[in-house]
Amino acid sequence: MRKDAPAKMTLLQVDRLTKHFGGLAAVHDVSFHVGEREIVSLIGPNGAGKTTIFNLVSGVYRPNSGDIRLGGESIAGLRPFDICRKGVGRTFQIMQPFPKMTVLENVVTGALFGRKPKVSMKTAEGEAVELCRLVGLGDKLKAFPKNLTVPDQKRIEIARALAVRPKLLLLDEVMSGLTPTETDEAIRLVLKLRETGATILLIEHVMKVVMGISDRVVVLHHGEKISEGPPFLVVDDPKVIEAYLGKMVDGEDEPAC
Amino acid sequence: MDWPSFFQSIANGVLIAGLYASVTLGLTLVLGVMGIVNFAHGELVMLGAYSTFWLFTMLGIDPLLSIAITAPLLFLVGIFVYRFTIRPILKDPPLNQLLLTLGLSIFLQNLAMILWKTDSRSVITSYSGMSLHLGMVHVGATRLITFAISVALTAVLIVFLHKMRLGKAMRAVSENNTGSWLVGINVQKTYMLAFGVACALAGVSGSLVSTIMYTYPMVGFKLSLKAFCILILGGLGNISGALLGSLVLGLTESFVGTYVPEGSGWAEGISFFLIIVVLIIKPTGLAGTRRE
Amino acid sequence: MGSSIRWKTTLPLAILCAFLLLFPKLVGSYFLHLAVSGILAMILASSWDILARTGQVSVGQAGLFGIGAYSSALLYQRYALPPVLGMLAGALIATFVSIFLGYLTLRLRGIYFSITTIAFAEALTVIWLMTPDITGGAMGVSTPPLFGGDREKAYYLILAILAAVVAVVWLIEQSRLNFAFTAIRENEDVANVLGINPTKYKVLAFMISAFFTGFAGGFYSHYNTYIIPYEVFNLGVSIACLVMPIFGGLYTIAGPILGTVLIKAIEEYLRVTFSYGHQIAYGLILVLVVLFMPEGLLGLWRGKILPLFRSRPGR
Ligand SMILES: Nc1ncnc2c1ncn2[C@@H]1O[C@H](COP(=O)(O)OP(=O)(O)O)[C@@H](O)[C@H]1O
Ligand SMILES: [Mg+2]
Repeated sequence: MRKDAPAKMTLLQVDRLTKHFGGLAAVHDVSFHVGEREIVSLIGPNGAGKTTIFNLVSGVYRPNSGDIRLGGESIAGLRPFDICRKGVGRTFQIMQPFPKMTVLENVVTGALFGRKPKVSMKTAEGEAVELCRLVGLGDKLKAFPKNLTVPDQKRIEIARALAVRPKLLLLDEVMSGLTPTETDEAIRLVLKLRETGATILLIEHVMKVVMGISDRVVVLHHGEKISEGPPFLVVDDPKVIEAYLGKMVDGEDEPAC
Repeated sequence: MDWPSFFQSIANGVLIAGLYASVTLGLTLVLGVMGIVNFAHGELVMLGAYSTFWLFTMLGIDPLLSIAITAPLLFLVGIFVYRFTIRPILKDPPLNQLLLTLGLSIFLQNLAMILWKTDSRSVITSYSGMSLHLGMVHVGATRLITFAISVALTAVLIVFLHKMRLGKAMRAVSENNTGSWLVGINVQKTYMLAFGVACALAGVSGSLVSTIMYTYPMVGFKLSLKAFCILILGGLGNISGALLGSLVLGLTESFVGTYVPEGSGWAEGISFFLIIVVLIIKPTGLAGTRRE
Repeated sequence: MGSSIRWKTTLPLAILCAFLLLFPKLVGSYFLHLAVSGILAMILASSWDILARTGQVSVGQAGLFGIGAYSSALLYQRYALPPVLGMLAGALIATFVSIFLGYLTLRLRGIYFSITTIAFAEALTVIWLMTPDITGGAMGVSTPPLFGGDREKAYYLILAILAAVVAVVWLIEQSRLNFAFTAIRENEDVANVLGINPTKYKVLAFMISAFFTGFAGGFYSHYNTYIIPYEVFNLGVSIACLVMPIFGGLYTIAGPILGTVLIKAIEEYLRVTFSYGHQIAYGLILVLVVLFMPEGLLGLWRGKILPLFRSRPGR
């Protein structure tokens, strides 16, 4: 059981965030927050704007309007490497390990540059080894990403994001495409991170995961927030059911995101 | 205002733009269909120009008639080049493709130097010196003819891409090659033919070049750089952009040549300055289309 | 065990160094000249490779080379600046230009960057030809022979610069720069999200590359005693800079050097055979490397030849 501090401080505050691509409003007027040591899930059908929100928070895109605050300080429109050093680590939905670097080197890179103050090469390497062990890559330090399985590549992504010692960790569909056993392992990993006190915003569509580990859920549809609350309340929200319905009647056991 | 020289500059600019357009079209076709910037396109033009020169000097074949020979000849060269160098790297990262075609370009330049020395050659026909007077403007016969042929070529290419089966296939492939595979277009074959057609266009451009410029081993590279400038001005991989870009470059060169002191020397550098300035203002080219 | 492995690498290195230092005493003037131009080319190749480590494929190193060459020659001609100081000045001016060019081309990726660098070198040729009062124009600039024509001194100077380049590359490889450069080359967006400021490292790589390329240019102008725009800003120089490391093996210390040795040997042979077009080998090699050995000679050695040797004792 997670012992909640009585009054949780807000770590991430997203305020009336809007992003257009040409005529398309990928994210429209979305507000939500993530408290310290909280795990919040961002869900919604495919194209709802979830990844775009990650890109806005991590500085890959600049918002058209709205604000993003990390620990009270506005980070909207800062460059990605600045945001990273302020404490935001992320993974990518489409895995992007550096192909010509070994697993360890991938993770070391995050440790070397992603924080302030800078750490020495030796410290970075030591910590990277630790992180690789933590995510279950301890025996594959010298392997190259292309020789690894999909779950292992996802582990690299997570370890690399953790290496920047993020205050806030953004996980983009790290469990999609995994077998049920692999998913269970991934859930255990996230739970392990939660025990270490991490704050996590995650995009996920495997409902079992969302229900099991989130403190709160934010539901997006067509770029807008349609619902927010504890997981068991959100799944009964008629608006949420409607948003997902089209996909669910196809007989899939989980909504396609 | 000195109107005659003003109009003369316009005429010169437009006429040379025709030739630039014909060079750029071939480059655009390859870029549009297969997403490769072919650095060796200019060298194929150079080969076309030399072929025309030799056909003229040794057999007395008129440079404009020799188009009927250079186009199919370069088409075959193109198929050969495609089969053995381009096809293996279709899926490679863009930088590999750049290095490969740059290598081809350097190879062909130097081959030309070895075979034909660095001398500048020119084709002088019975009508080379003729010119027409249209009001205040003098227009050289060869320039006018090359312009007319370039315009005709563009028209043919547009009709080809929009009306003929193969042309439509090329357009389909350029838009979405997984999809076109599904609808039964043979992507590989379409690529090969597109490359061949682009090289045939280079052959035609080469024949035209030989009538209004000197032919020498580096002429192709100079033209390639101008064509890159035009692509960057007009947006990558679309025909109307290429035509517009050609006009902009042709006119700028011609006006600089007329109105800037020692302008003909500076005009040679216009394309380089334009490339630098445009890319710095807008890293994806003026029209902003970018192929990933 | 550990010390025996050390011996395996240090002993050949020591022999190589001794050989390089004694070289002028062992050979005649012609081979000394070949060695000087070979080492000059190695510097250019390694400098190009430093820039390429950040994913920036320059086809315009001739621009920086020419700037170094002209700065140094003109400073001598106008202000009688001693050649070695002139080379340093040339290097610094080329570095300064690279900062400017680096920032301007920062947002350009891949092919756009390459095309802009070609345009840069070509534009310089035009500027040089068109401003003869300042630059000497097509007639070029001449200077007296370096060190009064003492090739041995010239050899040691250029060897020292090569040693400096190798040392710098080695330091890069040992430091965090190696991670930053590689990450930017492999995926600039991801590098950025991991806290790496791509601007900083791309411009830094450009500066290091430009410094040595500019120095090499300055050396060339004094060693050759005569430079013209068509030669120092020539596309051929830019091509040489990139083909040698690609042939030898990218992003390594030995690759660019090995590639240079072989290409220079081939080129020297062709120079004797044909009066023009000896760069045909560069084009051919580029095509063959991309098609058949994308990791260059070193890759070939590691991937195909080494395993071959290793498998023998086992049989
Ligand atoms: N760089 C982009 N350019 C144009 N459109 C984009 C871009 N990124 C995302 N989009 C569009 O924004 C919408 C939201 O995308 P995304 O945030 O990736 O959805 P999700 O992650 O929820 O599936 C989609 O319609 C997508 O096509
Ligand atoms: Mg997504």
